[in-house]
Formats: sequence, structure tokens, C-alpha cells
Amino acid sequence: MAIPHALRQHELAHAGQATGVWSWITTVDHKRIGILYGVTAFVFFLIGGIEALLIRLQLARPLNTVISAETFNSLFTMHGTTMVFLAIMPLNSVFFNYLVPLMIGARDVAFPRLNALSYWIFLLGGLFLNASFLVGTPPNAGWFGYANLTTRQFSPGPEIDFWMLSLQVLGASSIMAGVNFIVTILNMRAPGMTLMRMPLFVWMTLVTQFLIVLAFPPVTVALIYLMFDRFFGTHFFDVAAGGDLHLWQHLFWIFGHPEVYILILPAFGIVSEVLPTFSRKPLFGAQIMIYSGILIGFFGFSVWSHHMFAAGMGPVADAFFSIATMIIAIPTGVKIFNWLATMWGGTLRATVPFHFAAGLVGLFTIGGLSGVMHASPPVDLQQTDSYFVVAHFHYVLIGGSLFGILAGATYWWPKITGRLLDERLGRLGFWIIFAGFNLTFFPQHYLGAIGMPRRIYTYNPGPGWGFWNFWSTVGAFAIGFGVFLFAVNALLSLRYGAPAGADPWDGRTLEWRTSSPPPPHDFDEIPPVYGRDSFWREKYGDDRGRKPVPRPAAPDPHGVHLPSPSHWPIVVALGLLVAAAGALTSLAVVLIGAAVLVAGAFAFALEHHRTPAHVRQDGVLGVDHRKLAMWIFLGSECFLFGTLIATYLAYKGRSVVGPHPHEILNLPITTLSTFDLLMSSLLMVLALAAVQRGDRFQSRLWLGGTALFGLIFLGFQAYEFTTFVHEGLTLQTNLFGSTFFVLTGFHGGHVTLGVLWLLTLLVLDLRGRLGVQDALKVEVAGLYWHFVDVVWIAIFTLVYLLP
Amino acid sequence: MSTPSTAREHPTTGEQKHEHASIRIYLIVAGILSAVTALEFGVIYVRRLAPVLIPLLLVLSAGKFALVVMFFMHLRYDSRVLTFLFVAPLVLATLLAIAVMTLTGEFLVFSR
Repeated sequence: MAIPHALRQHELAHAGQATGVWSWITTVDHKRIGILYGVTAFVFFLIGGIEALLIRLQLARPLNTVISAETFNSLFTMHGTTMVFLAIMPLNSVFFNYLVPLMIGARDVAFPRLNALSYWIFLLGGLFLNASFLVGTPPNAGWFGYANLTTRQFSPGPEIDFWMLSLQVLGASSIMAGVNFIVTILNMRAPGMTLMRMPLFVWMTLVTQFLIVLAFPPVTVALIYLMFDRFFGTHFFDVAAGGDLHLWQHLFWIFGHPEVYILILPAFGIVSEVLPTFSRKPLFGAQIMIYSGILIGFFGFSVWSHHMFAAGMGPVADAFFSIATMIIAIPTGVKIFNWLATMWGGTLRATVPFHFAAGLVGLFTIGGLSGVMHASPPVDLQQTDSYFVVAHFHYVLIGGSLFGILAGATYWWPKITGRLLDERLGRLGFWIIFAGFNLTFFPQHYLGAIGMPRRIYTYNPGPGWGFWNFWSTVGAFAIGFGVFLFAVNALLSLRYGAPAGADPWDGRTLEWRTSSPPPPHDFDEIPPVYGRDSFWREKYGDDRGRKPVPRPAAPDPHGVHLPSPSHWPIVVALGLLVAAAGALTSLAVVLIGAAVLVAGAFAFALEHHRTPAHVRQDGVLGVDHRKLAMWIFLGSECFLFGTLIATYLAYKGRSVVGPHPHEILNLPITTLSTFDLLMSSLLMVLALAAVQRGDRFQSRLWLGGTALFGLIFLGFQAYEFTTFVHEGLTLQTNLFGSTFFVLTGFHGGHVTLGVLWLLTLLVLDLRGRLGVQDALKVEVAGLYWHFVDVVWIAIFTLVYLLP
Repeated sequence: MSTPSTAREHPTTGEQKHEHASIRIYLIVAGILSAVTALEFGVIYVRRLAPVLIPLLLVLSAGKFALVVMFFMHLRYDSRVLTFLFVAPLVLATLLAIAVMTLTGEFLVFSR
């Protein structure tokens, strides 16, 4: 929906937005999607909160009988899973979606329809997980689902299936959103918005998105293993067949610890925006804060095994992960001190957002300090699986993440709704939540220290745990009441709140430069950027009061282009949901879901094939959005295949029965198929060169040739698999069969997807719809194809050639 | 291999231009890939190479990997940002894979 340039700016500013349910279903506007995330995640947050209150009711006194042990198991599993994946992560997504484009001076995200797809997949994945309640089988093995508690032998019902499938679905949503926001931030900044001028919140968003796209693949692979063990009888977590239960723990926590930073870094970013605004001072040491955030993200990948000190990894591994964990406290401590220094000497305004931000600084510090205690393996052995740990991570995730989210919600509420919240009601809510939180969780340190374990549904009066458990429950209900007050305040504000104006807090960043709520196109003109805290400089000048010379509006080469609404994102998401549901019911339903998914994906991909506004999507890095996105995705794929290959090698030689690799692998045939795939890459680059030249005969020839070589490779693989099955090696035979077929099968799946992509391009070419202007599409397909090729180069060596 | 005489520019989208390898270079790279694949197949039958076989195969494989990424995927000619976005995760994934292999399974180095 390109708006003609002739349309005047004031007309743009008042251009109406479509209303009605359908307009929300088909919306691709980042602001509306942000609101959808907010409403959905808040509902899930309430569900997770109710689960927590039921847990606390049961534990309020010894030998309580409010709920059964089985229900208790389900509640703590669903509470953890819901709060992590359906509440805190998507509540952070509200700010990513609504604010990142505004803060960098963009009119939308790089891929608006993909953004909508991420939301719909998240919603349907969340509904799917909670549908387990409706059929009476909610997951019950803890939020980190340790094997082999989750295997069919110990969890025969569909409880774990719901958990496993919904996490797969939710992971797809997160990775898509992650790629989208990285491209948006790197490539769609307003002119003058250099990386180091970006607001801290945008920086922390960027680091978080990298963590998401890199940390989710290992847990995706772990969930795939679990799925294969449960559905197809493989042996990944079958100790009797040589499997190693530590593998699940490693893969889960390689994701799980970065996940902690995925949850907390956005809150750090929010606080880094709120505190300077209400201190009327620039953020102290902004660059160091950025580097600290990057370091936290980087070190986040090197500390996962501190969750496993009790698993018995040995002294060397324990020492490494202990030191790494202590090191990560340094950049985190830098942030705490810089926030304090920001407030120091500032003209503080004790608004509600400031309360929550300052609350985070205090409460997260307590959680961080107990975290440093866990970094010591001997201490951790005393604390692990006790209520001390429960207290620790709630100080981090409520005192940190949730307080940050509430700070952001109350800070940007006027921007999003155009109305102010009631300050008195807000402060009352804050103090109730603050007091309730500390009453709930501080005593849990003591309960853990005197020996109360996690995940027990009741306890005897003897150990003396009853007193503090009672007060902990009282505190939990106080938190609930505080959240209720927040919701009341929000609802009252929507109806009776005073108009906010564009800049109610005297803000520093670009989102305050546009109206509240912003128009559909965000800014009438791309805002000029004068430095860090650009809008503040524009209003008040630098630290000496020197105002920048006003610049004309930045050039806007793409014009005001608003993406058209699309119903295909929800269709694709529905296909995925049906396929996931089919895994619990029948193959036919899986196939129906897959058909909808594939058809929807084709329609999605081709919807704007010839829309002129979509031909060029180059950004400030000088790279097309799509190409940038593909490279980021390939980085994510490195983690996926790295995990698959590492598992194959870790399990090599551990099969307790044959056949073994050296007895069955056919090297000459595989060398031929490797040669075939390598040559397909040659044909791919020839195809790209032909499309770039506009040579339609050669482009068809080489595109068809590449697809044909891909099909030949798949033929080789089918032959190999068939031969192996005839020789007695199946998925179920032994650990080698399980790891081999899953690794090479997933690679084959990627090849199949690549062939479909190439054939689609070929059909477009044959129909005269693939011209020189579409060369980028061929290049992006080629990148994917070549990546599949290089993965095979690694597999060929590591699986087939190495003795 | 990217001398002006052997490289040329192709227009892609709009005003964007990327210097890509020439067809000749693509053919040379494909030839090297084929030769190295044949070499990989051959060396595993040479008994004398047994002591160095694993590092040799890993180096040959890494070389092939790098050739495809640099020339067929054009990283040699493209923005360095793209190189960073791919190589950094690749290195991190490799380190994590080694760690997982070190901490579990047949490659267990540290005693439990």
C-alpha cells in the first residue's frame, strides 16, 4: 500500500487506520502487533500467576490438601513454562515491536508479515500448550523437562507431548522474530543513527535477538530428540542403549542460560531508558553499558553447566563453569553501578516507572548476589534443588525482568495509548507488589537454607517450614492484588486517563518526537538524529546547552510505504498448529496441517513477488534486508547442525548392538553423492549469474540443473536409507541408527526444502516472472543452497570419512 | 583471485552492486572441490597416512567449506558485516559442539 508522494504530510498524519476484528487479524503494523503481544502475554501472565497462587495455597501450611501431588506437579511445570515462554518473553516483545522502530526512526520492522507470523505462531503455540488443561493432561515434568523423566517409559501420557510440541512451535516464532529484529536494527536506522547512538533499549534488544537466534536451535534439537524417542522409539535418552542423560541437560541449558539473559537484558534496556529520563541526566557510561550488555550476552553461552554442578561433571568442568559464572558478574555489576551513577546528582522525579526501575536495581542486585553464591560448586551443591534457588531466580525474574517490564509498561503506556496512568494508584500498586514480592521470596532463602526442597507438594510440621511458607503465601496474594491494581489502573486510563501529549515525560529518545499514539506511518518525516539522546539534544542542546543546527528532514528514498495487511501469516500459523495437534491424534491431521502450512507458505512468499515497493529492500548497511536475514538465519542454522553433529560424534561408538558405522557405511556411493551436491552449488552460481545478466535460457537451464542435482542427491540418500534398513539398521536399532538417521535425515529435509525453493523459482522463470530485478531472490535461495552444501561437506568428513 | 582482471560486477537490486567472482573462478573452485573430494576418498586407503588422517581430513574439509563460503556464497566480495554474522556463530557453534562432545560421550575428557 504505497502512499502517493503527493499526499500531504498533514493528511498522512491524520490518515485513519482500518478498524474491526479482521483488520487486527490481518495487521502487519508493528504497533498493533506489539499491542496484540501485550494483551495475549498479559492473559498468559495472569494464567501463570493463578498457577503460582494455587501452588502457594497448597504450601501455605504443612500437610495441606488443597491440590493433589499430581496437580501440583502440573502446576509448577506449567507455571514455569508459561512465565518463561508465554509471559516474560512476549511481554518483552511488546516493547521490541512497538518501540524499536520508533526509537531508531523507522516506519516499521524489516519484515512486517513475518512479524505477524511470529505473533500468530506464538498465540497458537500458547493456546496449544494450555489446551492440555482442557483434555486433563497438562505437562508435569518441570519446565526444563529433564530426561529420562520425560521419556515414554516414565511419562506415557500426552502431557510431555503437549509440552514438547508447543515449545517447538514457540521456538519457531522466537527465531523468526529474532532474525526480523536484528535486520530491523542493523538496517533500518534513520540517517545519523549510528550503532553507538542507538538507545540502550535498542542495543539490549539487539543482543537479546542474537541470543534468541543462536540459543534456540540447541534446545530445538533436544526437543527433536525427545520427540523421536517418544514417537519413533529412538535411543537418544535411553541409558540401556548407550544414551547419556547429561546430553539433555547440556542441550537444554546451552539454551536455558542464555534464556535467562533473553529474559533480563530487555529489562536492563528499559531501565537504562527510564532512569535517565527521570533523573534528567544522560545515562552514565552509556558506551560501557553497551559493551557490558554484549559481554553478558557472549558470556551467557559459556556458563550453562553451572546449572549442572550436581550432575557430576568432574572438577575441571566445574572449575571452568564456576569461573565463567563469576566473570559474568562483572559486566552485570557495571550496569548496577552505572544506574546508580545515573541517578546520583540527578533531578529525580519519583514517578511510577521510576519506582519500578529503581526497584529493579535493588532487587536484581539481591538476586545477582545469590547467583554469585551458586557459582561456587560446593555452595551450589548445598543450595541446588532447595527453596534458596527458587528465591534466587524469582529475585532475578520478578525483581529483574518483571519490574523492568512494569517500568516499561508504565513509562511507554502514554505513548501507546495517548493517555496517562493514575500516578497515585500506580504508586500504591508498586508498593504492594514490592512488599508482597519481598514477603514472598525473601523468606524462601531461609527456607532453602534450612533444607526445604523444591517441587514438594507438601511437608510435615516437624522441620518448622510452616511459618515462613504461610507468609510467603500471603506475599504471593499481595503480588496478585498489586497486579490487579495495575490492570485496574490501565483500564481506567483507557477510559478516563488524561491526554498524554507527545512527550509527557520530557523524554530523550525519538519515540517521544511523534504523537501519542503514533500515526500508522510512525513519523511524517524521518527524524533527524543529532547524537545519543537525539530528541533531548534537539530540545535542550548538549551539556553546555548548545542546540544543534536544525537539519532538514532526512532523505526518504523509499517514500512513505506502509505494508499491506495480509491474512497469510495466520493461515501459515494455523497450518503449523494443526500439524502439531495432529502429532497427538493422527497422521492424517499432520498431513492436513502440513498441506495448509506449505500452501500458506507459498502464498505468503509469492504475495508481493511483483509489488514494486518490495523489489528494493536495501538498508543502511548497504545490504538488502532479505540477504541480511538469510545470513543471520544461516548463523542460527550453524547451531542447529552443530548440535546434531556433536550428538552424532558424542554417541559414536556407544551403541551396545550392531550394526556399527564401519560395517555399513558405503563410502564410494556417498563420495558420488557428495560430488553431485558440490556440483549443484556450481550450477547455482551459474544460475544466479544468468539471472543477473537477464539470460533467460541459461537461468532456466541452471536453475533446473541445480534442482535436478538436488533431486539426485536425495535419490542417493533414499537408496542409502533403504539399503541400511534392509541390512538391519533402522532408527530404533541402536544409538548409531538413531543419531545417523536423524542427522542425515534433517540434512535431507533441508535439501528437499531447497529443491522446492529452486523449483518455485524455475516455475516463475518459465512463466516469465523472474527478471533481473529478482536476482536478489535467486541469490538468497542460493545462499541457502550453498549452506546445505557446506553442511554436507562437514557431515561427509565427520560421519563418513573419519575412522 | 579477486584481481580486477578476473572479477566483475553484476547489478543486483536497484542501485546495489556487488562484485562477484567470474564464471572462470567458479569453474576453478568447482574443480578444486572435486579434486579435494577425490583426495579425501583416496587418503583414507593410504596406511602411511593413518597417524595424520584425522587432522588431514579435517583440514581438507575446512578448506572445501571455506571455498564454498568465500566464492559461491560471495563472502569474499560482500560486506564484512555478513562475514561477521556467519563466522561468529559458526565459531561459537563449533566451540559449543566441542564442549558438548568433551563433556559427554565417547570424547569424554574429564572424569566424572
